[in-house]
This record gives sequence, structure tokens and C-alpha cells, in this order.
Amino acid sequence: MSVLPVITILNGGTQTTVQDSGRPGFRHLGIPRSGAADRLSYAVANHLVGNDWDTPALECTLGGLHLRFQQDTTIAISGAQMWAQIQGMNVDLNRAIDVDAGDILTLSYARAGCRSYIAFAGGIAAQSFMGSVSTYLPAELGGLEGRALKVGDKLACAEAPHGPSRTIPRGYVPFLSGHAVLRARSGPEFDKLSAESRRYLFTTPFIATPATDRMGARLRGDRIVTNAPHAMTSSPLLPGTLQCPPDGQPILALADGHCTGGYARGLHVIQSDQWLLGQIAPGMQISFRRCMDGEAADILKTRNAIWQAIIPGFRF
Amino acid sequence: MNTSQFSLRHYGDNAVLVEWAVSGFDEAVSNQVHGLAALLRDQSIFTEIMPGYDSLVASFDLAELSEADAKDRVAEALSRLSASKTGESGQLIEIPVNYGGEDGPDLETLSAAIGKSPEEVIQLHSGREYRVCMMGFIPGFAFLSEVDPVLQHPRHETPRAVVPAGSVGIANWQTGIYGLESPGGWQIIGRTNSVMFDPTRDEPFLAKAGDRIRFVPQ
Repeated sequence: MSVLPVITILNGGTQTTVQDSGRPGFRHLGIPRSGAADRLSYAVANHLVGNDWDTPALECTLGGLHLRFQQDTTIAISGAQMWAQIQGMNVDLNRAIDVDAGDILTLSYARAGCRSYIAFAGGIAAQSFMGSVSTYLPAELGGLEGRALKVGDKLACAEAPHGPSRTIPRGYVPFLSGHAVLRARSGPEFDKLSAESRRYLFTTPFIATPATDRMGARLRGDRIVTNAPHAMTSSPLLPGTLQCPPDGQPILALADGHCTGGYARGLHVIQSDQWLLGQIAPGMQISFRRCMDGEAADILKTRNAIWQAIIPGFRF
Repeated sequence: MNTSQFSLRHYGDNAVLVEWAVSGFDEAVSNQVHGLAALLRDQSIFTEIMPGYDSLVASFDLAELSEADAKDRVAEALSRLSASKTGESGQLIEIPVNYGGEDGPDLETLSAAIGKSPEEVIQLHSGREYRVCMMGFIPGFAFLSEVDPVLQHPRHETPRAVVPAGSVGIANWQTGIYGLESPGGWQIIGRTNSVMFDPTRDEPFLAKAGDRIRFVPQ
């Protein structure tokens, strides 16, 4: 295990945290899964530098991250379309890059998407809680003291590099734009929504508001309301579920989303598309497309097969 | 034990939802919810098993289990429910509470609204044993069983931006303890120094679903 820091943070940007594949199985204790909000881009970055797909990496939200390498290492950047530079020279996303001790990496504002993943050969060493180093900010769990990275932080490599760097075939890298189409099934309280709301939900686009973070994305658009005032007892809630509060502006639960909620659960984004929730940036247009019975399982089977052929062990 | 009326249906593509038809708190239903959770936990196929007051959500990996198979497994567990032990009650935890003042900013207004003195409210709230029905929405938040009907009072229309950790509140028939500082709309009548969630402790959670809670005025 390396004790030398591999990087020093010069500017943490909007919000940069350590994430891995998360800590599933504890929602009944109020602990969300957390983990990389976009697990596909996170897996791609790890794969490129020769890591197992679920190795700890950095998640940079919207940009602004500056860091200095303290050792020679290999990195890869995937996810949001950020302008990345090393020593002032543009570098490609989705490709392994060898860097030298002293080099400075800067990530500018995301042009499309929301979160970039920076993977380091060997991964990042961080504090583990309940089997995961994922940072969960509300309870200060995992990562570095459970908080977002800030200037002066030093992070070390967890292990020696796992293997040689790799490539991802062109055409496989997810294309992010200002519009996301999320496939979804109706949620438990879908039938409680007004007729107009049920129609709007799957036909009109919504815009993600600035009230968007790892817990949820608050959307703006046609009002989505229940037929009659619907007094709900607090009930279990999953990431990917769209909650519909009385003010008509629905909230999409993300990786750090609350484990229970008291509002109508209008729809639920299918497992295959949940990675894309992590790329919802303020201002992005969101459309939901309704999945029919059985369709979700077929989509997942195909998507898992495609990606497992490239990234061993990966699953949506 | 009689099995109350329930419905079993899909929740999205990767979860199953069981809902019991009750209004307010029903101890028999709560027993069934936690009995079902225990039966499902024995099957490692479910990713999350989330008991609620009158419902339960079990999520799974759609690549491991089809939607139909997941529903069948939960139905099978439900059919075994009557035969399984469900009345098992957890540990009794005493929670010392400072009622009123800065710790319980809503005690006076709630008392006035229901036509009781603050002392009577304290007596009623601390005078019964509660069951921990559900944990969440944040780590350590304990959703407890029904308060005395006299104490029932709706949430604030506009939630407070900050409710301190340890705050004890009432929302309609529910009472609960905030595990962490968070925004919240419950009527806050007191606060405890007991730390509901501490990740550095060997046992981070002071209470778990199924435990019993008694509030002790300080």
C-alpha cells in the first residue's frame, strides 16, 4: 500500500467526492446506497486505467476541479463533457492518460452531463463505512472525512496498479447531450395522479432545476398532481423514483435519495437507465418514455451483455 | 394470526410492493410487515428489504430475478406469514427528552392548539411505549407508532430549514426522532441527547425497526 500521496487538491470545484459502487442493502436503516451517481461512466474510467470496475474514484460535479499529481500515474476521465487539460494541454476523455509527478489537471465546466469520473491506476484510498468508501455528505460517511474535497487535501493510491491500461471501442462511450430520455415504469401511486398528469408524465419534457444534487433532481414542467389531496403515510422510496408533491413539481430520487418519502410515487426509471440519472445537470431537458411489461428485462439483458463483454463483472 | 387485507404489486421494474389496507397505525399489520421482512431477509436474492408502517418494498437486481418470480417469492413468503413468529419484540430503549423551550419550540403552540397544558402533553407523550416501525428517511431517523389521539397534529405547512439532531416531533399520528440535523416539517416538542446514529460507534444505530421506545422527561 502506497503511503505517498498521489494527488493534492488545488481546487475542489463545485463538488468532488470519493465514490465507489456504493453500499446497498441498508435502506431499512436509513442508509442510501450512494456510490457513483453514474455507475456506467465510473466503470468506464476504472476499466481504462486497468482497475476493476468498482474501484474507488473521484466524482467531480459540474467542474472546477484542479489537482496536482505527486507521483507518475495513469488516469482516465469519463462521464460529463468537461474540457480537461493537463499542464494547459487539452486531453481526451475516455482514454487512459499517463501523467508525470508535478503535472496539474484542470476540469472546466461541463458542456453536457453533470458528473465526471477520474479514475487512478490502483484506485483512491479512503475511509470505509459499512463496506464502501462512498461519500454520503448528509451523514458525513466514507470518502475523506465524509465531505467534499477541498484545497490542500492529499489522497493516496489504495493499491499498486491492477493491470495495463485498456481502451473502450469507439461508439460504446455514452453520448451525453442537453436532453435525456429515461425509460420508466409507472410508480405505485401512478393511478392516484390526475388524468392530465398521467398523460403529461410520459409526453411532455421537464427541465431539471438548480435544486439538483446527489439526493435528487427537482424538475419543472407541466404540473404533476394527484387527483384528490393524497395523504400518504411515510413509505419506502427507491432511487429512480419520481415523487410528486402537492406543489406539482416532481422530484427524481438519485443515489443519495431519502429512504422513505411521503409523496405519490409517480414513476420509476428502469434499472438499465438509472446510470443516466447521475448526468442530470440543472437546465437539462428530461423526457420519460413508458416501458411496457417485460420490456425492461429485455433491455437490461441486452445492455448488461454489451457492457460485460467489455468490462468484466459490470452490471447496471 | 389473521392476515389482514393486503395487496401485492410491482414497484417499477426492480421492486415489489406489499401494502396493507389500514388507516393510522395497526399493531397487527406492523407485526406482519416485520414478519415478512424477516422471511425475505432469509432469501439473499433481494437487494433492499424496506419495511414501512403499513407497507414493505423489496428491491432486486432484474438481471437475477424476473419481475414475476420476485412477486411469486414475496407471495410465497406472505403465505407462510401466519405460521411464522411475528410478535417478537425488540429491546426497550429509554430516550431522555428535554421537552419544550429551545429544544421543543412547538410544544407551546401544539398544546394551545389541542387545548392541553404543556405538562399534559409531556405526560401523554411520555406515558406510552412506542414501537420503532421504520428507520430512514435519513440515517437514524426513527419513525414510531401512534401517539395518543389527543396529541395528533399535522405537520407545519412550510418545513423548517434546519431541525437539530435528536429533535422529537409529531406528525399527525406519527411521532419520531431526528437522527441527524436536517430540514423537517414535524411539530418539534423536545430533544434528546441520545445519539441515534454515530458511524464511529461499534453499533452505529441506537434503535432498529422492531425495538420499543419510551421517552423519559428530564
